[in-house]
Amino acid sequence: MGLTGLEIYKKLPQTNCGECGPPTCLAFAMQLAEGKAKLDQCPDVSDEAKQALNAASAPPIETVAMGTGDYEIEVGGETELFRHDKTFFNQPGVAISVSDEEGADDIADKIEKINALTFERVGQVIELGMIAVVNDSDDADTFVEAVKVVAENTERTLILVSQDPAAIEGALAEVADRNPLIYAAVEANYEEMTELAKENECPLAVKGDDLDSLAELTKKVKDLDYDNLVIDSGSRDTAQVLADQTVIRRLSIKKKFRPVGFPTITFTEADTVAEEVMQASTYVSKYAGIVVLSNALELAEVLPLLTVRQNIYTDPRVPVTVEPNKVYEVGEPDETSPVFITTNFSLSYYSVEGDVSGGKLDAYIIPIDTDGTSVLTGWAADKFGGKKIGEIMTEETDIEDRVNHKKVIIPGHVAVISGKLEEASGWDVLVGPRECSGIPSYIASRWEQELGA
Amino acid sequence: MIIIGERINGMFNDIGEAIKNQDPKPIQEWAVKQLEAGATYLDANVGPAVEDSPEVMKWLVEVIQDEVDAPVALDTTNIDAIEAGLEVHKGTAMINSTTAEQDKLDKLLPLVKEYEAELIGLAMDKSGVPKDSETRTAKAMQIIANADAHGIPMENIFIDPLILPVNVAQEHAPEVLDTIRQVKLLADPAPKTVLGLSNVSQNCNNMKLINRTFMVMAMAAGLDAAIMEANDEGLVDSIATAEILLGNDVYCDSFLNQFRKTS
Repeated sequence: MGLTGLEIYKKLPQTNCGECGPPTCLAFAMQLAEGKAKLDQCPDVSDEAKQALNAASAPPIETVAMGTGDYEIEVGGETELFRHDKTFFNQPGVAISVSDEEGADDIADKIEKINALTFERVGQVIELGMIAVVNDSDDADTFVEAVKVVAENTERTLILVSQDPAAIEGALAEVADRNPLIYAAVEANYEEMTELAKENECPLAVKGDDLDSLAELTKKVKDLDYDNLVIDSGSRDTAQVLADQTVIRRLSIKKKFRPVGFPTITFTEADTVAEEVMQASTYVSKYAGIVVLSNALELAEVLPLLTVRQNIYTDPRVPVTVEPNKVYEVGEPDETSPVFITTNFSLSYYSVEGDVSGGKLDAYIIPIDTDGTSVLTGWAADKFGGKKIGEIMTEETDIEDRVNHKKVIIPGHVAVISGKLEEASGWDVLVGPRECSGIPSYIASRWEQELGA
Repeated sequence: MIIIGERINGMFNDIGEAIKNQDPKPIQEWAVKQLEAGATYLDANVGPAVEDSPEVMKWLVEVIQDEVDAPVALDTTNIDAIEAGLEVHKGTAMINSTTAEQDKLDKLLPLVKEYEAELIGLAMDKSGVPKDSETRTAKAMQIIANADAHGIPMENIFIDPLILPVNVAQEHAPEVLDTIRQVKLLADPAPKTVLGLSNVSQNCNNMKLINRTFMVMAMAAGLDAAIMEANDEGLVDSIATAEILLGNDVYCDSFLNQFRKTS
């Protein structure tokens, strides 16, 4: 998105000298906005105007990479306030913090637990990808030792939490090659911190006391020629974090306000783990680039949070699907149970599944790959034809080994495909109800009789 | 779509008579009728029958707002009449209109600022209605830059790119559509756009069909508001339908009624 005519006009010298070609600065601004003129045609253009034009062509929020190998992540790079407008692109990193006061053995135990926080959901392995080492001891050597223990015990991406440049320098000597996030540059230390980040080419978190001081500080760091940044407005109270996150996202996208055009880092601060997970879920939903937890350590605690993250960052433009062309069991089906055909559009599949299980039926369901479209859409687009379904049933699934009958039930709306399906599969095709809500009564009144036929 | 009902205008005989006789009834009836049809603003124009004076505008605004709770578009070029209208107006008034001439803007914009009013700016100056969209857009920019300098929010500025009758000025309609698109890019947030819609079909056959068709085209180009015949049901139906197709309103089966209820 380019700058508007009005925004450019305000940055022009207002001399109306005409040397750029057009007679007035206003006319020149409009030509610039339309891409018909170049800024260097103006003899008096200021640095500010040049910066503004550059800002317009840059993405609103920088993308920042951290970590290495399997746990390398990119955060930021977002362009939306609401996911339904396009999508959210880069899932936020979720970290658990470890204190350097805990002692080497306890730290190693904790890391082992964190390493075990993994589960599978809709075919994806989900893990907790980051660990924050916190310099609670205020002692540089203790911190470096703790970072060493953590680094030896996990591959996960590290966040080095200390405002003491000596502690950060010592830790970077050990783990700089793992591209950790340095947390944080503040007003008192930003020159040294920026220097360390630059030397080691690591991302740097900048922390302000509020939004104003944060914006001031990022400007200073950018003036030192470093923009591999993550930002923290300093607030820890949920309501204030929510407000800050929203303002940061709006300013960077809607106003192209460069000092806050970076991914954010947030920290939970709650009395109970349940509250902490709710806080973190809020931050994941509302634009956080990284969320650092301090107490959660059980799978039951982080699983809901990582599930929220996966859901929020699902691309709403792509239909949600179930894995197609395989046999799903509902209840405890046996060799006499009915077999239903539907599509792999998750809304279609789960409607059928819900009505089958809701009717306390035991059955098999085969979702056919229609690229995630519904029954009628798939049929109209030639993705749900009798020949294709027959081939998938007999060649790609083991349904023939699971039942001792050869009767398959298709959605009533596509009764017309039954002939081709019979031909291709060799099965008897029963036309089910048009709506899956009719499945329980259909089975109750028809299935026994059909089986005997 | 912001519908500005055009009917309270002294050039219509019933309203002209009512103003002359200081009879509020026909004016108030049309105020209610237009709002029920889907209008949110009521244009008020004294018309040719009586002198366009501050007193008449003041009376007109008071008569309308005694009956209904709706903003009035003060349709006059007489600055004293505008100020008189603003003084008695309840809520956010709209001023209809100014051109891009600097001396007019210098006089009017402080009033717009003081009363936090909305302003319709015509994309023209004393040299007349521009032929092409570039010149129209440049005039619009003149108005916008001046308004911005007075600290008036862009959302309060309505740029009118000036549609002319299709039977005698056919080449203007596509230029107007292009101007609407361009004006939306001039500032962020963008200024609003408005049309004096009925002008497109002056003295043409099938006036309603022409109005309705151009309305839908202009909405696709980004039009925000229209001064129009609010009681033309086919026109309002077309607007409601266009809002659905542009994704501005969420579809429901009763979308024609919903549009009238919520606007």
